[in-house]
Amino acid sequence: MKVRQAIPITSELGDISKLAKFDGEVICEPPNNKLDKFSGTLYWKENKFPLSNQNMLLRGCVLRNTEWCFGLVIFAGPDTKLMQNSGRTKFKRTSIDRLMNTLVLWIFGFLVCMGVILAIGNAIWEHEVGTRFQVYLPWDEAVDSAFFSGFLSFWSYIIILNTVVPISLYVSVEVIRLGHSYFINWDKKMFCMKKRTPAEARTTTLNEELGQVEYIFSDKTGTLTQNIMVFNKCSINGHSYGDVFDVLGHKAELGERPAPVDFSFNPLADKKFLFWDPSLLEAVKMGDPHTHEFFRLLSLCHTVMSEEKSEGELYYKAQSPDEGALVTAARNFGFVFRSRTPKTITVHELGTAITYQLLAILDFNNIRKRMSVIVRNPEGKIRLYCKGADTILLDRLHPSTQELLSSTTDHLNEYAGDGLRTLVLAYKDLDEEYYEEWARRRLQASLAQDSREDRLACIYEEVESDMMLLGATAIEDKLQQGVPETIALLTLANIKIWVLTGDKQETAVNIGYSCKMLTDDMTEVFIVTGHTVLEVREELRKAREKMMDSSHTVGNGFTYQGKLSSSKLTSVLEAVAGEYALVINGHSLAHALEADMELEFLETACACKAVICCRVTPLQKAQVVELVKKYKKAVTLAIGDGANDVSMIKTAHIGVGISGQEGIQAVLASDYSFSQFKFLQRLLLVHGRWSYLRMCKFLCYFFYKNFAFTMVHFWFGFFCGFSAQTVYDQYFITLYNIVYTSLPVLAMGVFDQDVPEQRSMEYPKLYEPGQLNLLFNKREFFICIAQGIYTSVLMFFIPYGVFAEATRDDGTQLADYQSFAVTVATSLVIVVSVQIGLDTGYWTAINHFFIWGSLAVYFAILFAMHSNGLFDMFPNQFRFVGNAQNTLAQPTVWLTIVLTTAVCIMPVVAFRFLRLSLKPDLSDTVRYTQLVRKKQKAQHRCMRRVGRTGSRRSGYAFSHQEGFGELIMSGKNMRLSSLALSSFSTRSSSSWIESLRRKKSDSANSPSGGAEKPFKG
Amino acid sequence: MEVMPQYDLSRLPENTALKQQKLPAHRLDLSASVVLSIFFATGGFCLCMGVILILSAKSTKELEINYTNICANCAQLREDSSNFDKECTCSVPFYLPENMEGNVYMYYKLYGFHQNLYRYILSRSNRQLLGKDIWDVKDCSPFQVSRNSTPIIPCGAIANSIFNDTITLSYNLNSSIHIEVPMLKSGLAWWTDKYVKFQNPRASDLASAFAGSAKPLHWTKPVYELDTDDPGNNGFVNEDLIVWMRTAAFPTFKKLYRRLKRVDYFAVGLPAGNYSFNISYNFPVTVFRGEKSVVLSTLTWIGGGGLFLGLTYTVTGALTLLASFAILAIHLMLKRTKKNFL
Repeated sequence: MKVRQAIPITSELGDISKLAKFDGEVICEPPNNKLDKFSGTLYWKENKFPLSNQNMLLRGCVLRNTEWCFGLVIFAGPDTKLMQNSGRTKFKRTSIDRLMNTLVLWIFGFLVCMGVILAIGNAIWEHEVGTRFQVYLPWDEAVDSAFFSGFLSFWSYIIILNTVVPISLYVSVEVIRLGHSYFINWDKKMFCMKKRTPAEARTTTLNEELGQVEYIFSDKTGTLTQNIMVFNKCSINGHSYGDVFDVLGHKAELGERPAPVDFSFNPLADKKFLFWDPSLLEAVKMGDPHTHEFFRLLSLCHTVMSEEKSEGELYYKAQSPDEGALVTAARNFGFVFRSRTPKTITVHELGTAITYQLLAILDFNNIRKRMSVIVRNPEGKIRLYCKGADTILLDRLHPSTQELLSSTTDHLNEYAGDGLRTLVLAYKDLDEEYYEEWARRRLQASLAQDSREDRLACIYEEVESDMMLLGATAIEDKLQQGVPETIALLTLANIKIWVLTGDKQETAVNIGYSCKMLTDDMTEVFIVTGHTVLEVREELRKAREKMMDSSHTVGNGFTYQGKLSSSKLTSVLEAVAGEYALVINGHSLAHALEADMELEFLETACACKAVICCRVTPLQKAQVVELVKKYKKAVTLAIGDGANDVSMIKTAHIGVGISGQEGIQAVLASDYSFSQFKFLQRLLLVHGRWSYLRMCKFLCYFFYKNFAFTMVHFWFGFFCGFSAQTVYDQYFITLYNIVYTSLPVLAMGVFDQDVPEQRSMEYPKLYEPGQLNLLFNKREFFICIAQGIYTSVLMFFIPYGVFAEATRDDGTQLADYQSFAVTVATSLVIVVSVQIGLDTGYWTAINHFFIWGSLAVYFAILFAMHSNGLFDMFPNQFRFVGNAQNTLAQPTVWLTIVLTTAVCIMPVVAFRFLRLSLKPDLSDTVRYTQLVRKKQKAQHRCMRRVGRTGSRRSGYAFSHQEGFGELIMSGKNMRLSSLALSSFSTRSSSSWIESLRRKKSDSANSPSGGAEKPFKG
Repeated sequence: MEVMPQYDLSRLPENTALKQQKLPAHRLDLSASVVLSIFFATGGFCLCMGVILILSAKSTKELEINYTNICANCAQLREDSSNFDKECTCSVPFYLPENMEGNVYMYYKLYGFHQNLYRYILSRSNRQLLGKDIWDVKDCSPFQVSRNSTPIIPCGAIANSIFNDTITLSYNLNSSIHIEVPMLKSGLAWWTDKYVKFQNPRASDLASAFAGSAKPLHWTKPVYELDTDDPGNNGFVNEDLIVWMRTAAFPTFKKLYRRLKRVDYFAVGLPAGNYSFNISYNFPVTVFRGEKSVVLSTLTWIGGGGLFLGLTYTVTGALTLLASFAILAIHLMLKRTKKNFL
């Protein structure tokens, strides 16, 4: 939730007639994509009024705490910041797709080459032999020379040999991808029971790329975290509450928790609030003053609005979920924040309603990192309650709290080590006189014309000193289920995860720790926060130097810097020892992404184990993704849930949307969607890996079978005068790709598995071949082609050798064309079927059915095509009558088929077996070794590498924004007051919009071309 | 969010083996024992097969006499197609050193005659040869009709180029007694060809059925006079025609011409001795630089000879066995190192 307000001068225009008379002019910045900045000036009634981001409503915003507002549109359509941030939608295709296109082009070239060779052969043959053979076969009338005959034969051969260009490949690939997409949709293990949403493959074209991902770009809120804050622990007066103990008094792990604390004594308690440590409630009930004061503070010092729909049914509207969590905690422990007016806060303290007079809200901002309220209790005592970051607040405590301070600090460190967001709470009693005097000065300061902010800050600073420490709170930014495990697993799979978030640095780093991306074991976490190009460059340079220094003591970083080519730099940095992490701020990132620095940034970032970019705009997210895409040639995956992730999702090779959240833009832009981050591991390591594996095997086999099939014609060309005579029956040619060989390979492409799915989770390293693109690349392609050509050679020359001499067992001729055709076709079908049998690693019933079925169908069709009946009906179409039964009855033919099969297959088996035993890859090893348990242990160690460590690091993070305090005190934001102000009804609104429109068109020739928008809120 | 309705499970994917990719399956593993047994079995089989095939090929006897140049004068005569009506015969004497026992087959063998050219293969009319529609010549280009536009029967390049030498074999018992070796003109073609693919038109008299047609250009007599002695071997069902019409796959081929009729002297086959082929030399081969020969051959269980299959089997078997031993050695070696490693 963000605070947006109209500028005071226009906010008074709450009347349609006044609005209609409004004739101001706005001069402002040109359209840009910076979501957090706006500068403009309103010229009205000879006065200038500055306009800032505070006065802007961005396209796509939803109004909260106010029912309506009037506004002026400044930019519309593609000029809006939202649209400026949306990247162009590109057509996504996988690297295998692109490779396939290249290969198909090559094959086409190969086809033309073969055509040329055979055409030349034909011309020579016709010249040498054909002219003499004209007695028996005169040339066509159109053919007047051997050259022209060769030309015609070229085209004939292009037609005959076109089966090398796998036209059906594209269709088959799509079918397989569709199958894989269905598997993703059907996966029960990717179904979120809580949100009732299954995973969904929204595109069917990217599946195998899921098996090649190297970089994951993740959004934080809603993706890694649930955006739910939970009051988890607190430290009150040196005593820590909130640890969960099991029956035996040990700290309990998740899952074996006792029943949560019963808040039934409190009718106003929030049922959803869970707390496991009963001692805190006991302390409250015992009347421990510190505990009471602690919760009183929580119920008073905030900017939450309450809404009571019916008696006892309280709804809190908090600007940040952190505050909501704190106020809810106080509510459940008996300090119920009931309602507020601009001047009072009503709290039910253990059943009694007490109204405090709200004197001042010392609002939060990013520099102060704290907020305070000054209230007067019913007894008339004035007290300041303050909550804020430990680093800030601990310095402002009264010296007398030293002892308490040290024990609280210990607790804070412990909380921070758990990745909790901490806040320190303190209070201070104020004298009536002192307060009066201070309030006067504050008023003065707030009226000052120049440096108002600074003066106010000074005044605030003065009163927020010598405070008494109350304790500390620890809020858990609830991670999505299984996030740390998923990240650990993906990291083991050599996938680099970058978090790109719009949140502040503290929050982002905090989450980095809690999801184990950042650990205390890391050698160093570099934080880049520079505001200028030079600063950023310097910070990046220092980071690199440090990394290099530690790994290469020889290297003197200064000479390295800038002198080495970027490629060398990479090689140096990739070998960096130790774990580093990089945290970079949005404004630094803007510089780092400039053309001259982007490489430096990329090298530095890639050398780090973890990268967190905070406060980035949606477009920057996309730019970072684009940068990695451009230089690393790696497959990127972006995952996010909100509208601000859309451009990143669109830019990355694969975009994943978290579904089941409020927004749907991310899902709509995504290629895959599911509702939990943890499903990513299954999507990549199981589905992606299998898809890649299957697709690669499929492509290899497909090219192989087409070459084995087609090249036979090429060899036959040398024996048939290059006359473009096919080896096979035309029906066989038609049906080979469609019927005889398509289904087994499709079944393999859809169902094949090399290792069971559990294994791919247990051994994330199995994912690596995909990243390195080992299973299908140009080399593999040539191997397949070579195998295909080898097969075709044997397929032609072995039957040729046999047929050249042999006769049938009844003495008649064996070597007739039709018998030869049937023999070659049969051995081809058998060889490719055996080959697919070898390639299929996972023989399901469907595979059996398709492979045996294909063979059976081949013979069935063969006999049908060669049957007497068909010949009787169409004697000119079915010329092969009687061929199957006569040819396949010959032992010679079968011996030839068996021999061909053996010669084609045995080398493949031998090669595979030798590779398996001499150079097994991991998946082979996994299949064969029984070392499963051993490895599992190692892995667990890895995943738990992060223990609870007590580094002195502030866990402070608070997703809070400045501005609410002022709003509350002014009363403008109150719904009640807004109701009171609703004097103009919607009836007339259309008319004033009309008049405004006219105004706008009048002022359309103003230089900014825009208008201004006041809005009432 | 916490309290979820329990009914909305409609989107839950079905828990079937297919959808969860858990189909029961057999994983294909190339384990050492399987691979080795496959290799040894294949090697053994191929080697045995090869030896058997070589032995049986050796047991056949074959004799080939190339008469292209022996009958040189005839060859020259035939080079000029205008001499087509001139008779030319020649006799090719030869000595058969040992008996050819069993069934003896006589083949003619052509070298460099391309029966597998694309346009050649297509140039025939199956409808015509089936006797159904003898006037159907549309597929027979470039030999559809004769010069005076009468349809050719049988039409097409294949039929036109029929091998029309007549070869008889005579056994020269001594210089004066020449016994013509009895030969069978039947059983030369497949049953399906003779009785399904080729049929004469249903007519009492073939000559009248074919009236109004022309004989193919190279033919000396019309199709209904191919074998006037035996009506079952005349017309389209003439076996020489059928054999010729089954086009060869390669430019060098042999086609069955006659079978030995095992009677009298020849009850056990061809006895050793002096023979001669009496050839009526009609078929020109020198125009396209081809050659022709006549072959006498016996058969074994597998058919006609040829060492190729046997040799290939033997070589494959030997190589496979070698590979098997190599694989075995590698496997044993690796096994040992692995054990050490563990």
